[in-house]
Amino acid sequence: MGKMKENTTITKKDIWRTFWRWWWTCEMSNSYERMQSVAYCYAMMPVLRKLYPDNEDYSEALQRHLTFFNTEGIVGSVILGISVAMEEERVESQGKMPGETIIAVKTALMGPVAGIGDTITWGTVKPLIFTLALTASVKGSILGFFLLFLFVPATVIYGWYLMVMGYKVGKTAFASLLESGWINRIITGAGILGLFMIGALSATTVKLQFAGTYMSAGAEKTFQSIADGLVPGMLPLLAIMAIYMFIKKKGHKFGTIIIATLVIAMSLSFIGIV
Amino acid sequence: MFYVALFAGLWYTFAGWRPGYSTHEIWMFPLMVALPIGLIMGNVPGAMILGSAIGMLYVGMVAPGSETPADMSLAGLIGISIGLSINADPGTAIMIAVPFGILGVFLNQIRRTINAKFAHMADKHALSCDEKGIARCAILYPLIMNFVLKFPPAFVTVYYGAAVVEKFIAMLPGWMLNGIAVAGGVLPAIGFAIIISMIGKRSIFPFFFLGFFLVQYFHVSTIAAACFGVPIAVIIVLLTKESQDEVIASTNKVDADSSDDELEVG
Repeated sequence: MGKMKENTTITKKDIWRTFWRWWWTCEMSNSYERMQSVAYCYAMMPVLRKLYPDNEDYSEALQRHLTFFNTEGIVGSVILGISVAMEEERVESQGKMPGETIIAVKTALMGPVAGIGDTITWGTVKPLIFTLALTASVKGSILGFFLLFLFVPATVIYGWYLMVMGYKVGKTAFASLLESGWINRIITGAGILGLFMIGALSATTVKLQFAGTYMSAGAEKTFQSIADGLVPGMLPLLAIMAIYMFIKKKGHKFGTIIIATLVIAMSLSFIGIV
Repeated sequence: MFYVALFAGLWYTFAGWRPGYSTHEIWMFPLMVALPIGLIMGNVPGAMILGSAIGMLYVGMVAPGSETPADMSLAGLIGISIGLSINADPGTAIMIAVPFGILGVFLNQIRRTINAKFAHMADKHALSCDEKGIARCAILYPLIMNFVLKFPPAFVTVYYGAAVVEKFIAMLPGWMLNGIAVAGGVLPAIGFAIIISMIGKRSIFPFFFLGFFLVQYFHVSTIAAACFGVPIAVIIVLLTKESQDEVIASTNKVDADSSDDELEVG
């Protein structure tokens, strides 16, 4: 490594800047090949420039943060916090923290963190606020428009908190975070909440019913009422399970799933079942 | 229709560019675009009703790894503006919207394929420490590419679409229209199935059914469901912690109580 800067201390303002750079841009340059890597590098730039005045070190650091990266953006802020701390650690320890370790840590964390984040941000917080907004506007009120934006402060608050936490944990007890059972318990808890909420949400948003009626004791009854008598929500549940089994067996083939859904729905509609 | 078509094209570009992590799904959400479309077309309540109906299809949709199962942005822009211009009821607006939501998925896939090019350019800029170059790859080029890719389909469909779509719908047989509407109702299931496959470990799978049947049998709102879900998750996590701690404690003790094993979760 080249010459070190005298005073490399990262301030809260630097972390704040990194957070907002990430928050604004992390989905813009998303690509299949590298996902959010360009945004990650763009967010880290001010901190890296401050830490590495030497261009050779700076270039190396930029390349480190252009490697494949993909996570959920809000809870994922915790990883940027850790990266900032590790880069600072690398400079303060005169390069004893290897660059490969910094890459390895962010790569190891992105998967589990995405699982937690998708569950909390997109599986729980978003549907709560968006459903509230939809309900407010169902008869034509403009209130729902404004309610949607509650999602911004709601997510920015815990995103920022996690970013600072990531930085602090990265500075002090990074190894113990991974080794202790703490992160596993968070993953389990988020998984339980996520599955529970996805169950609740799919019960209200996935709609599939039997069509057709029949006469019984002089009254017209629908076939759906028989199904409801057996197990309510049987068809939506079957649809979710069928798609789930397909993904488990064949992987994430969205085009195929969407077209199959359309074809099956039209066929069932043609023969009058749905 | 020129101004609303212009808005649709520009907004589809802007929303597809996805500025702001928390905001990107707000920009895309049909209920959000309903207000500006309503203002341009002079029918705000009508637009909000259609926006709310179309939004209902996509509210629970999760897009893990940004892989959207349906493009609610294109669906909302086209469904609301065309629906409003032909005085469609919410059901018809949904039928207009759903096919465009499917079409939009492929545009998003093209976007993310082209974006890889900008990552390669950023690699070169990193070698020469060109900060502005990296910033352009992260922000500017994706915007330009979005405009080229997304402005034309949204603008053309809304500008020429109303009459064509109306004629087209009149031509389609009833079972086909019903089939599209049914498929629309099933679309959210794709997003759910993806996230279940991501987080659904066998040991915690029953919680999905717990949430599903809580709502099916008792018809509680999403917020009420969360009021049950959060404590359940916290209780399980705390119990797991205690039992783990107890297991550790009991292995240290010589005369370990056998009842500790019963508490163990997972």
